[in-house]
Amino acid sequence: MAKILYIEDIKDNITLVQKIVTSRGHEFMSAENAETGLEMAFAHHPDLILLDLGLPDADGQTLSVWMRNDPILETVPIIVLTAWPEEVARHTVEAYNLNGYLCKPFTMAELVQIIDTVLNKSSA
Amino acid sequence: MTIELIPAERFTMQELTDLYNQTRVDYMVPMPMNASRLGEYVHDFDIDLSQSCVARAADGQMLGLCMLGVRQNEAWITRLGVLPATRRSGVGSALMDCMMENASKLGAKTTQLEVIKNNLPAYNLFLCKDFKETGEYLVMRRAPHPASEPPRGNVDWLDSEKALEAIQAYPNHLTWINASESMRNAQDVEGLRLTLPDGGAGWLVYRNTKFTLRSTLSHLIIHTEQGNPIEVGTQLLLNLHTRYAHHDTYAENIHKDDPHLSAFHALGYFENFSRIEMLHSS
Repeated sequence: MAKILYIEDIKDNITLVQKIVTSRGHEFMSAENAETGLEMAFAHHPDLILLDLGLPDADGQTLSVWMRNDPILETVPIIVLTAWPEEVARHTVEAYNLNGYLCKPFTMAELVQIIDTVLNKSSA
Repeated sequence: MTIELIPAERFTMQELTDLYNQTRVDYMVPMPMNASRLGEYVHDFDIDLSQSCVARAADGQMLGLCMLGVRQNEAWITRLGVLPATRRSGVGSALMDCMMENASKLGAKTTQLEVIKNNLPAYNLFLCKDFKETGEYLVMRRAPHPASEPPRGNVDWLDSEKALEAIQAYPNHLTWINASESMRNAQDVEGLRLTLPDGGAGWLVYRNTKFTLRSTLSHLIIHTEQGNPIEVGTQLLLNLHTRYAHHDTYAENIHKDDPHLSAFHALGYFENFSRIEMLHSS
């Protein structure tokens, strides 16, 4: 089972994702802004980060750069969960060297599948 | 519905931020803010909160807000947002009328705004208020990555004062957020001036904003004074991204026909969305 950090500013989204993630037996934690998200990532060393791109203090792209520039966090897989159009999400994942994306709204099955896929790849 | 319009100055920055974020919760381009960022926005873009408005229902329920930036005889309408549950009930129109009236009272000869391309409800509202399209602008990102080749040319790095001097001599139109007044207010402006061996010359001005741990480049303005804009632009960007190899970059409001667009793309910029600038003349 994995330790998963979700960085997202909308509480309803956090609640929804928490239910899905914990139902699969994963440990779940969340942060509502980039700075707290970064602090939690440093403190808890998650196995996977779920990242919203629209955050109130610094956006998800910028936060991912901070993480990728840090030797402790550079290899942690990051999946983008975003309301941006799919083309932007895809470009973002490619350009920022992230590990996958889901555009909102997404189904429970889609989230479970991408989490499993990325975790399996990172542990392989 | 009875709509009460209240000057935004009567609310705290946190209250305005919370309301703004609620109006954008389902927005096509998610851009939430915190109170600190909204405060910077108000400062940098000369938002007058005494002339900006919050819409409230008779029962006290917050409905939406809109902000007005004011500079001499120009005004700028921004941050218009209505809570999802109360849209299509005249709140946006009432807020716009209030902003237009306030702009007129302040002596604004023109009022401008930007709307995200394909946001048809907002676009149609602005058309109804006699705004006309004046241009389309791109918002682009670039993730930090090593430049593909070493930069060329003689470079002078510009401090804030020299960078602002360059912008003031810029011959083309700049949207409100990149205008010299905005850049001066921001106080994190830098630049570089480039001369190439073939005589090509130009400058690039940008903001280098310090966050808690890292910096981000934004609000890029490129101008070619002599030579091929693609070559000059490419070398300006190569020099910038070689110096700031680990910086995330956000280029806002680059005109869709900007002659340096190919240079941006060559350096790895990709489009996030477009804005339509609209103008109302009194």
